[in-house]
Amino acid sequence: MSKIAEYLGSDHQRCDVAFADAEAAALSGDWDTAQTAFTAFQNDMAKHFRMEEEILFPALLAANGPSGPVQVMRMEHAQMNDLLDQLADALQARSHSFGGIAETLLIVMQQHNLKEEQILYPIADRLLESACDEIIARMQAI
Amino acid sequence: MSTAQLSTEQAPPISVPFRFFALAPLFLTLAALILANGGDFNDIHTPVMLAALHGITLGFMALVMLGAIQQILPVVIGSTMPATRLVAWFSFLPVTLGTLSLCGGLLLGEPRFLNLAAWLLGAGFLTFIVAAMISLQRAAARNTTRTALFLSVLALTGAMALGMLLAHGHASGETLDYGGLAALHMGLGLGGWVMLLIAGVSFQVVPMFQLTPNYPQWMSAGLTQAIFAALLLYVSGYLLKAWPLARIGEGLFWLLSGSFAVVTLRLQHKRRRRVADATLSFFRLGMASLLCAAAFRLTSWWVADSEWLTTLAVLTFVLGFALSVIHGMLYKIVPFLVWFHLFRGGVTKGVPNMKEIIPESWMWRHWWLHLCTLLAVGLAMFWNTAFWLAIFGLAAQGLLLGAGIYTGITVYRRILARQEVAAP
Repeated sequence: MSKIAEYLGSDHQRCDVAFADAEAAALSGDWDTAQTAFTAFQNDMAKHFRMEEEILFPALLAANGPSGPVQVMRMEHAQMNDLLDQLADALQARSHSFGGIAETLLIVMQQHNLKEEQILYPIADRLLESACDEIIARMQAI
Repeated sequence: MSTAQLSTEQAPPISVPFRFFALAPLFLTLAALILANGGDFNDIHTPVMLAALHGITLGFMALVMLGAIQQILPVVIGSTMPATRLVAWFSFLPVTLGTLSLCGGLLLGEPRFLNLAAWLLGAGFLTFIVAAMISLQRAAARNTTRTALFLSVLALTGAMALGMLLAHGHASGETLDYGGLAALHMGLGLGGWVMLLIAGVSFQVVPMFQLTPNYPQWMSAGLTQAIFAALLLYVSGYLLKAWPLARIGEGLFWLLSGSFAVVTLRLQHKRRRRVADATLSFFRLGMASLLCAAAFRLTSWWVADSEWLTTLAVLTFVLGFALSVIHGMLYKIVPFLVWFHLFRGGVTKGVPNMKEIIPESWMWRHWWLHLCTLLAVGLAMFWNTAFWLAIFGLAAQGLLLGAGIYTGITVYRRILARQEVAAP
């Protein structure tokens, strides 16, 4: 079974779509649309981080999951939050630096997703097999 | 594997991949200088052409790939190389010196250099192969990329052994089936090591970094194994002198590789992220080149006096497919690593974003230069001036890429030094 991997993996894709919309609007100079799309993206990302940091990671650690990688994932969430703040500032200032910061965030985000989807989520599905439905329900409630 | 061994940390230190990346572009310029001294794209088996091609395949391609693999393993399979720094030095130095020795031995016809090259390259690659196999064995992920990497490293082992045999044979003047062994060496090196590595990594990297749909399940689950099986048919056909078998194996290889290129181009066409991206254009040029290489080689079987088409297929595979993908990968990974290591090193203010580290305009200039170089290589078979344009293009690409990577290293050092001064 790969319930957690499927649920959080598809949430990654939802964030990707929101990112692409915000980036495309900003780079074409449509700043109002970019602001709306970016707000949606920021909300999606915040929800995803909360699902992991408040529910998945504690459950994984309680089931004797690997603490090192969980720590690395948390650190990378902090990196992404820093870049999201920079993007918000660039958007406010309608600065051309938006493109470069977005590019940086995309790479940080995708290499992070790759590690989660290929390594951490499959471990979570294995260690938390009996509690998968309950964990997903709690994540959905956020 | 036990989850306690799991590593998703983006080790190794920045100096590990960067020593490979910083030196490799100079080999492109060196290869161009070698070509200028009697190269001829119509016959790739002359000593000058062999020296130039090995300058590109070993000095540039292999160095970059050895450095990049150390970087991507933790991300794609959750496992680092053992003894990272030691493995880096004991693969970087012997492969670099071995490549120089091989080029020198071929150009001067000096047996001692050829023998030295065989041992140095053997030692360097063997260090990497053993470390990579340990890392693959420890890997947390059991995905298609892990399988592809395993098969790719296996093919590299075969290519390396055949290369050593050929170098010793040339040095000692021993009677060997040089044509047959060289065909197998090239098949395993380019068709195995290079093709399988690029395909295996693409299954994860293309959908995630270019925001495309996923590769179809039949392709990601079975392509690399099918390509490896086709290569085994090809090798068996050669060893048993069963030529139809060898031809079936090679035909399958090109059809499978061509289908990979078509599917990748279609996925990229459907990408969600529509903004212009030079690294994506490098990747697409690589896929178009792979398709052309397959078409050239398959066509050569139906055309009389078609040796030139086979040569064109090899050149298009190396310079068009492999070089384009590697250039694109470097322009993505170098700025990211500079940014990442500065951030992780605790620099909180003034960290430039990726486009401020190597400007996009720089990458586009290189893309156009690369495209012109490829066109010149194609025309060089018929028009002598194009030969010189191709040499100029290759030399300039080495310098442009080298300067781009050097700029990244300079930015990293400058900002780190500023941080140290600010916080004594």
